[in-house]
Amino acid sequence: MVRYLGRRVIAAAVLVAVVSSGALLLTRLAPGDFASELFGTGVSAGSMAQERARYGLDRPIASQYLEWLGRAARLDFGVSIVYHRPVVELVRQRAANTAILALAALLLATAMGLPAGIVTGSRRRGALASVIRGLSVVLLSLPSLITSLVLVMVAARTGWLPTGGMQSAGAWDAGTLSGLADLARHLPLPALAIALPLAAMIERVQSQSLGEVMAMPFALSTLARGVPRRRLVWRDALRPSIGPVASTYGFVLGGLLSGSFVVEVVTAWPGLGRLMYDALRARDLYLVAGCAAAGSVFLALGSLLSDLVSAWADPRVRQRQAGGAPGAAE
Amino acid sequence: MASCRAGPVSRDIQCGAARRAARPTWATGQRIGLGGKKLTTSRRERSLRSAVLAVGVCALVAASGACRRDAPRAGAKPAVKALVSSLRAEPRTFNRYVSRDSVAELFAFLTQAKLVRIDRRTQEIEPRLAESWTASADGLAYTLKLRTGVAFSDGAPFTSADVLFAFRAIYDEKTASPLGDSMRVGGQTLAVSAPDASTVVVRFPSPFGPGIRLLDNLPILPRHKLEAALNAGALAKAWDLATPPAEIVGLGPFVLKAYQPGQRLVFERNPRYWRADARGRRLPALDRLTLEIVPDQNAELLALQTGQIDFMQSEVRPEDYAALKRAADEGKVSLLDLGVGLDADSFWLNLRPNRPAALKRPWLLRPELRRAISHAVDRRAFTDTVFLGAAVPVYGPITPGNPRWYSPVLPRFEYDVAAARRLLSGLGLSDRDGDGMLEDRSGAAAGFTIITRAGNTALERGAAFVASELRKVGLAVDVAAIDGGAAVERIERGDYEAVYFRFLTTDVDPALNVDLWVSSGSAHVWNPGQAKPATDWEREIDGLMGRQVAALDQAERKALFDQVQKIVADQLPMIQFAAPRIYLATGARVVNATPALLRPSILWNPDTLDVR
Amino acid sequence: MRTLAAASLALVALVALAAPVLAPNDPGETFRAFLYAPPMRPHVVAADGTWHWPFVHPLRLVSRLEQRYDEDPGRSVPLQFFAGGKLARLADDRDGPWLPLGADREGRDLLSRLLFGARTSLGVAVLATLAAILIGATAGGLAGYRGGLVDEAIMRLAEFVLVLPAVYVVLALRAALPLVLPSWAVFSLMAGIFALVGWPWVARAVRAVVATERTKDYAAAAVSLGASRARVLFGHLLPACRGLVGAQAILLLPSFILAEATLSYVGLGFPDTVPSWGSMLHQASDVNVIAEFPWMLAPAAAIFAVTLAANLVIERSSRTV
Repeated sequence: MVRYLGRRVIAAAVLVAVVSSGALLLTRLAPGDFASELFGTGVSAGSMAQERARYGLDRPIASQYLEWLGRAARLDFGVSIVYHRPVVELVRQRAANTAILALAALLLATAMGLPAGIVTGSRRRGALASVIRGLSVVLLSLPSLITSLVLVMVAARTGWLPTGGMQSAGAWDAGTLSGLADLARHLPLPALAIALPLAAMIERVQSQSLGEVMAMPFALSTLARGVPRRRLVWRDALRPSIGPVASTYGFVLGGLLSGSFVVEVVTAWPGLGRLMYDALRARDLYLVAGCAAAGSVFLALGSLLSDLVSAWADPRVRQRQAGGAPGAAE
Repeated sequence: MASCRAGPVSRDIQCGAARRAARPTWATGQRIGLGGKKLTTSRRERSLRSAVLAVGVCALVAASGACRRDAPRAGAKPAVKALVSSLRAEPRTFNRYVSRDSVAELFAFLTQAKLVRIDRRTQEIEPRLAESWTASADGLAYTLKLRTGVAFSDGAPFTSADVLFAFRAIYDEKTASPLGDSMRVGGQTLAVSAPDASTVVVRFPSPFGPGIRLLDNLPILPRHKLEAALNAGALAKAWDLATPPAEIVGLGPFVLKAYQPGQRLVFERNPRYWRADARGRRLPALDRLTLEIVPDQNAELLALQTGQIDFMQSEVRPEDYAALKRAADEGKVSLLDLGVGLDADSFWLNLRPNRPAALKRPWLLRPELRRAISHAVDRRAFTDTVFLGAAVPVYGPITPGNPRWYSPVLPRFEYDVAAARRLLSGLGLSDRDGDGMLEDRSGAAAGFTIITRAGNTALERGAAFVASELRKVGLAVDVAAIDGGAAVERIERGDYEAVYFRFLTTDVDPALNVDLWVSSGSAHVWNPGQAKPATDWEREIDGLMGRQVAALDQAERKALFDQVQKIVADQLPMIQFAAPRIYLATGARVVNATPALLRPSILWNPDTLDVR
Repeated sequence: MRTLAAASLALVALVALAAPVLAPNDPGETFRAFLYAPPMRPHVVAADGTWHWPFVHPLRLVSRLEQRYDEDPGRSVPLQFFAGGKLARLADDRDGPWLPLGADREGRDLLSRLLFGARTSLGVAVLATLAAILIGATAGGLAGYRGGLVDEAIMRLAEFVLVLPAVYVVLALRAALPLVLPSWAVFSLMAGIFALVGWPWVARAVRAVVATERTKDYAAAAVSLGASRARVLFGHLLPACRGLVGAQAILLLPSFILAEATLSYVGLGFPDTVPSWGSMLHQASDVNVIAEFPWMLAPAAAIFAVTLAANLVIERSSRTV
C-alpha cells in the first residue's frame, strides 16, 4: 500500500510539473504580453519598455523558465504581474472559493441524484421512475454553459437571486451571520448550474448499480421469501450499490475543482478556473503556471481518492494495486 | 464499476456500453461477498432515518437564511452615508509616482490633492492646495501662494517642503517616474524653489502655453512618509500593495481603510480634509466609499442594475442602452446624457515609408487614397449602425465635445462615392478584369487588412462597416479582430496595413499630448519616432506645434492649433468617422454627482458626492 | 425512442449539408437597419380572420437606440417555396429581409447562421472524432495486441493524458496561438487539439477488447494461416471493436461540440465572422443581451438538441442490462 501511494505521489508530482511548465511556456510564446495593455493610454514607448524590464518580460525564455523551475521546486511560484501578489496566496484563496462551490454543487447533486437513482434503480416500471429517467437524460444533455446562461437570465429577470459574484459589498462587515447568509444567496446559482448535470450522472450510476444488485441471487431470493421491496432496497441492496457512486466522487470532485471554469466565467464566481482564464488573457505568466499546477494537483488528488475508495470497497482491487500489475481498469 | 463516467473535454457523461467494455471482465456484475453484509438492526435504521431528518432540518434552516433578504439599503435614514462603485482593474500599487494606470490615478483623485485642479466641466483652473498665483512678466515663472493650516490625514502639516519633495521624487532617476515625462517641457525639468513655508516658485525652462495647468498632473504625496525611501533610492517600491492602510497618508477627501485583494477597496472620509463647501459644511459629504473590483463590463452593468453598486466607472455602451432605459423608466437608475464625447475611434494606414509592402504598392502611401476612404464612408449610416444613432459625424480627431479646441471650419471629404472612385482611378486603380473590384497597375488586387481590437463592440462594428463601405467602391478590404495584446504588438512593430483603434484622451489641451502630433513622437501612430519629418506637411505641423506649445496667449494658441487641424483634415493621416454621445448611469441613491467627459467621470470630484 | 434519436441526428446532419438551400439569407450578410431584430413568424391567418398563403409582416423600427421593432400589421409579404434555389423565401424583400429567428448584433439572420454554423460545429466535432478514433484505435489496438512494454507505455501515456486538466490544456494551447489565423486553420487546429485530448478514451476501450479477442480461436487461426501481425490486427481484431468504437464516437461527438462552443464562447475559438454555434453563443455572453433578445440563445437550444439525441441513442443500449 505504501509503495502504491508513493508511486502515485511521484506520478502526480511529475504531472504537476509537466502541466505547469507547459502552461508557462505556452503563455510566454503567445504574441503580445502584459505591457501591451498600456498602449494607447498616453504612455511613451520608453515607459512601456521600462514596464517590460520591470517584470522581466524581455528576458530569453530559457533562462526565465529555468529560474522559475528552480523556485517552483521550493514551492515559490513567483509573483503575479497583474495582482502584484504572490501566486501561491492568490491561488490558495481562489482554490478555496472553487472548493466551496464544488462542495455545494456536490451536496446538491447528491441530494437530488441519489434518491432519484434509488427510485429508478429499484423499479424498472412506474410513472415516477420514467419521469425521473426522462428528466435525467435531459439534464445530462444540458451542459453547464447553457444551464448557467439560462439561470443567470432567470435571476436577472426575476431578481430573486444575485446574478453573479460571491459576495455583496459590506455583507461580512455586518457580521458573520449576515456574511454567511449573503454567501448562501450567491451560491445557489452557480452550484445549480454545475449540480444539475452531475445529479443526472449520479442518478444514472446509482440506478445502474442498484439495478445490478437487485438482479443478484440474494436479492431475488429475499423477494421470493416475501420481504417487502422497500425493505430490501433500503436495508440490503443500498449499501453494496453505493460503492460505484462513491468511487466516482473522488474523480468528480477533482474534475469539478479544475473544470468548473465555464460556470465561473458566466456567473463571475471568483474561482480558480476564472483566475486561470483571466491570467491567460492578460498573459500573466507565473499566475497561469500556478493555476495550471493547482488544477492538476486537484485532478491527481481526485483520481487518487477515487482509486482509494474503490480499493476500500473491493479488496480485489487492493490486491492488484499492491501487486503493481499494469492497470486495465479505471 | 461505475457505469457512467466523466467524458473528455467538458467532463460530461459517457455511459453504457462504452464504459462496460472499458472495465476488466472480472468486475462485470459479480459482487461475491459484497452483498452479504450483516442485516442492519432496526435501531440502526431508525438512527439513520433521524440523521437524515436532522440534515434535512439543517438544510431548511440554511435555505431560510438564504431566502431572507438583506435589509433594504435605501429608505431608512442611513446612519453611515456610504456609496459603492466599481473598479475595472486591480490596483498594482498605491504610489501614484510609480504607476500610470487608471486605477492609480483614481486612487490619487480620492486620497491625494494637487496644487491646482482643472475643473473638468469648464476646463478652467481652480485653486486647490495653492490659494492663488501670479505669473512673472516673461511668463516663465509662477509664484504660488499655498494654503495655510492644511494638514495631512495623520496630522502632519503641509508646507512648501512637500511640494519640493514631490518634484524631486518625479524627476528622480532611480525612481524613473512616468509622471516625470509629463512634467517636462521640451524635455527639460521645471525648476522649483520655496522662499518660505507657504510659497512656491515654479520656473519653466521655456515658454509653455498651458502654464500651470501642468500641475493638475501632480498630486502632492507626503514627504514625511516617503522621503526616507527616496533618499535610499527605493521610492519605486514604496507604497506597494502590502502597505498597511494607516501608512498611506494624503491630503485628499478620503483615506484608504481596507484593501481586500481581488474584491474591493474601502475608503473612509478624511477627518482632516481642508475643504468645506459653500455653506461651511465640512467635506466630503460621504462617510464611506467602496470600490468593488469588477473587471468585466457586463458584470459591472449587471451590478448596477441589481443595486449592488451605485454608479459605474465606465460609460454606457450603446448596446446597453435598452436595458438601462428600462431600469430608468422604473426609477432604479438615472441616465445622464453628457453630450458628444471627446474620443472618436480612429482609422489610419501604415505610413512608414520603407516597408517592402509599401514599396510594392506605393499607392498605399498616397493622401488621395485616404481622401477617397473618407469619401467612401457614409458617416450618417455609420452612426446609425455602430452607435445606434447616438453619435455625431466628425471629420477630425478633435470633436465638438472639446469646445475649447474644436474647429468647425475644416476641410471635409463628405460622403461622395463618385468622388471616391475618381480619386482611386487617379491613383491608377481601376477594374481591369471586370469583376467589380479594383486592381492596380500591376494587376494585383487593390485592398488591405484592417486590424482592430477584439472584444469591443464599437470597434468591431466600426471596422466592419468601414470595410463593407470600401468594398462597395471596389477595394478588397477585410477586418482582422485580434486580441488586444497581439494587436498592440503588431502596431508597435509596424506589422500592419491599416488599424482601427480607440485612444483615450487624457487631457483636452493638445500641448499635453504632443507625442501624437509631432513627427518624432512615440504616439505619432502612423509613422512614429521619425528622425526628421518624412513629409512637408509633417514638418509644417512640427513647427506649428512647437509654437503652439510655447505661446502664452490662448487665442494665439487656438489659431495655431486650428491650422494644425486643417492640415490634418486635408492630409488625413488619421480618419475619424463618428464621435459617440456619452451616457452615464447612476443609481437612485446618488446625489450631487458632477459627471464629466474625462475619466474618472464622477470620481474626479468626490467631495460633494452625497447619498439620498 | 432510440430510432427517433438516431433519426434526429441524421436529420441534423442532413440539415447541415443542405444549409444553402434551407437558409433564407446569406449568413454573412448584415442588415444594418435590423440589428437585434426579433423573430418574424410566418402567419396564415390575417388580421381579419381570413386564411392566406403563408406570409410575413415586415418589421418597422420603434427606437433605434433601444433596438426595438414591431411588426407592421398593415403590410404583408407572401412567402415563396422552392424558388430561387431556396426552400422558402420572401416574394420580394423591398421592405426588409425575412428573419425567421431574428437577427444578431450585426444584423445577420440568426437562422441562416445557425444552419451554416451547424456545418462548422458539426464539422469540427466529426473531424475531431474521426481523428480521435483513428489515433485511439491504432494505439489501443497496438497496446492490446502486443502487450508487454508497448502496452504499458501506451496505457501510461493514455492515463497521463486523461489525468491532465483538459480544459486548461485546451485553453492554454489555443490561447498560445495567434487569433488572426484563417478559419480553416482554426478548424483543423481545434479538431487536432480535441483529438489529442480525446483519443485515450477510445484507446483504452479498444485495448481492453483487443486484449481479450486476441486470445480467441479465430485470431489464433489467422496467425497459423500465415497472416502477418498487422493483418490480424487491422483485419480481424479491430473490426471486432466496431460496436464499441461506434458507441465511443457517439459519445465523443457532443463533447466536442460542447468543447467548440466553450472555446468560441470565451473568445478563443472561431472569430465572430465565421458562423459556428459557439461563436454565436459568444454574442450571448452578455446577460442583458439574453434578457432583452432571448432568441440569441438559439444555438444553445441546437447544442442541447444534438447532445440529447446522442445521449438517447446511447442510453437505450445501456438499458439492456
